Amino acid sequence: MLPNGATIECTNLSSSIQVKRLLGAGGQGEVYEVSFAGEALAAKWYFPKIASSDIGLAERLRDSIRFSSPSAAFLWPISLLEPSLNSCSSLNIPSGSFGYLMAIRPPNYLGAIEHSAARISITLRSIVRACFYLAEAFDALHSKGLCYKDISLGNLFLKPETGDILICDNDNVEENGKNRGLALGTAGFMAPEVLMGKAKPSADSDLFSMAVLMFHLLTRSDPFKGKMEMEIRCLDEPAKRRLYGEDPVFIFDPIDERNRPDPDEHRAALLTWPIYPERLQRLFQRTFGPGMFNPSTRVRTGQWCEALAACLDSRLICPHCGQEVFADAGKSTQCWACGGLIDPPARLTTGHYTLLAQPDNELHPHHLNPLATERIDAPIGRIESHPSNPKMLGLLNLSPHTWTAQLTNGQSADIAPGQRCNLAQMSEIKTHLGNVALER
Amino acid sequence: MAFPDVKLARRPLHFIYLCDCSGSMGGSKMQSLNQAIRQSLPAMADVARDNPEAHMLVRAVAFSDHARWHIANPTPVEELEHSWRDLEARGLTAMGEAMSLVAQALRTPPMEQRALPPVLVLISDGAPTDDYFGGLQTLLHEPWARKAVRLSIAIGHDANLEDLQKFIGPEPSTANAGEHSAMRPLQANDARTLARYIKWASTAVVSAVSRPVSEIGSDRAPSSATNVPMPDLPPTLMDPIDMSQTVW
Repeated sequence: MLPNGATIECTNLSSSIQVKRLLGAGGQGEVYEVSFAGEALAAKWYFPKIASSDIGLAERLRDSIRFSSPSAAFLWPISLLEPSLNSCSSLNIPSGSFGYLMAIRPPNYLGAIEHSAARISITLRSIVRACFYLAEAFDALHSKGLCYKDISLGNLFLKPETGDILICDNDNVEENGKNRGLALGTAGFMAPEVLMGKAKPSADSDLFSMAVLMFHLLTRSDPFKGKMEMEIRCLDEPAKRRLYGEDPVFIFDPIDERNRPDPDEHRAALLTWPIYPERLQRLFQRTFGPGMFNPSTRVRTGQWCEALAACLDSRLICPHCGQEVFADAGKSTQCWACGGLIDPPARLTTGHYTLLAQPDNELHPHHLNPLATERIDAPIGRIESHPSNPKMLGLLNLSPHTWTAQLTNGQSADIAPGQRCNLAQMSEIKTHLGNVALER
Repeated sequence: MAFPDVKLARRPLHFIYLCDCSGSMGGSKMQSLNQAIRQSLPAMADVARDNPEAHMLVRAVAFSDHARWHIANPTPVEELEHSWRDLEARGLTAMGEAMSLVAQALRTPPMEQRALPPVLVLISDGAPTDDYFGGLQTLLHEPWARKAVRLSIAIGHDANLEDLQKFIGPEPSTANAGEHSAMRPLQANDARTLARYIKWASTAVVSAVSRPVSEIGSDRAPSSATNVPMPDLPPTLMDPIDMSQTVW
């Protein structure tokens, strides 16, 4: 729609935007790389038909822009782009066309679709972190009184190394309860009541879609594709309605076994589900069990954050095969990858929390302050293995305060910011937020 | 340490071109068709990448005096990007035989037990010279053909629109107004329009079959009357500066 190199004057902006190149296109419009006031940004430009049929679109975007982004996890509209009459005629843009300006997605963020298709390499730690960030982002969104309405694999991007996420395509976001927009969602992610037309999208239906998305991230599988999906010959719209709307059954529902995964077709689900702690599995069973038809019983964002953070705390590295394993509290764990038995490793305890002292596991402020909301983006400490001796583990002080370590020989040692304390010699450490003990 | 070596399960999505290779297609029309298909392949490959639940497999039938497979084996679109052989024009218009050939391919076997709706695109510039109606009946006798998204593109003004409409299904009317799948044949009178329709058929339509991007609802429930909700047609913008259009 927009030619490369074109300069577009917009009635609402102080300077014009220059179109660099087309980045991609979707069902609603095209996304371009543009230059505005010397900055490289992205612009979404709607197809004329969308611009005219979705009447509340511009208004919704104006509201979103005014509300501003709930968190850094959202690629949020910055400003509307309303082309001047001059620009419209010189570039042959139909009148009534418009778009919006947003930040450009950094190149190191890959589509969640790439993960589903197994085209990226990612750790379990990163994928669990991504799920945490997803719950955290929805929490921020819902706290602002907004709902997303159309979350699916296609709108999520993640940085495989860290699990950081970016939620894109925020054009359908609206205040919870206001349904001026037309979008209902994506089949497979939509809550049954929305798919069947019994209710409009809301924060409660977001919770359903978010859980579906998390299930995809953790298992690379569809939570409703099991035996019942095998019975469908042609998976067209009416078949999807039956599978996701009329009689949806979670493949791991504890009671209803009608939709168990097929050992060949649904191998991914069978292999990955046992990896995760029971506490996390139960959240899915709840959201897709009682929560399937009773929106108010769906698991809330806060509960997901708590369970996902606890999952990270239970992470250990299998001494036999090197895989990441989420341990059961207290007892020996069997590695899901090699089957080997793993004795419970040393752990850091704070009185309220326990986290396994394993490489890359992190100590967070909420471990020491039970009143603080769980966050995983600002650790105060991290377990690291010594570069030349992997069996030697140390607790790295990531805070700006000096800690005092009580050693097993009775002495104490100062651990300055950036320094590590050898765990083998440590019995307790006094951080700026409280004490952390090492239990073997 | 890494995520287990598994990936999202997928179903086959068979995409079949049925191309008129009669003598009248010779020259600029055939050149434009080959170009349009060749140029649509990268975007089609992108759609395949963006829909891991669909395993996109492409085939093509060429029909002239007789119908034969131009691409006989269901081919992943990424492979086709570098190996599309040009279609050649010479002879009559055995559209009926093309229908029967595709009917055979949509029987189980070789058709899989479970798949997504196939996409069939009929492209023609003139009237059939064989038993088209009989061939069409044979095709529509197959359940997979009935479940398929069927599109037709008319090249130039000599195409038989009535026949092309029959391939798609009932003509859009007040009776079926609002049903997404009620469509007419797409009329392509120049190279650019042909390219645009081919691109739309191989991308937007395929996306709609593999995973509907967003269901747009009004006051009623999402439509269950149709088998695949069709995406909007590509925006047609006339570029007055462009002089390179080949008009038939």
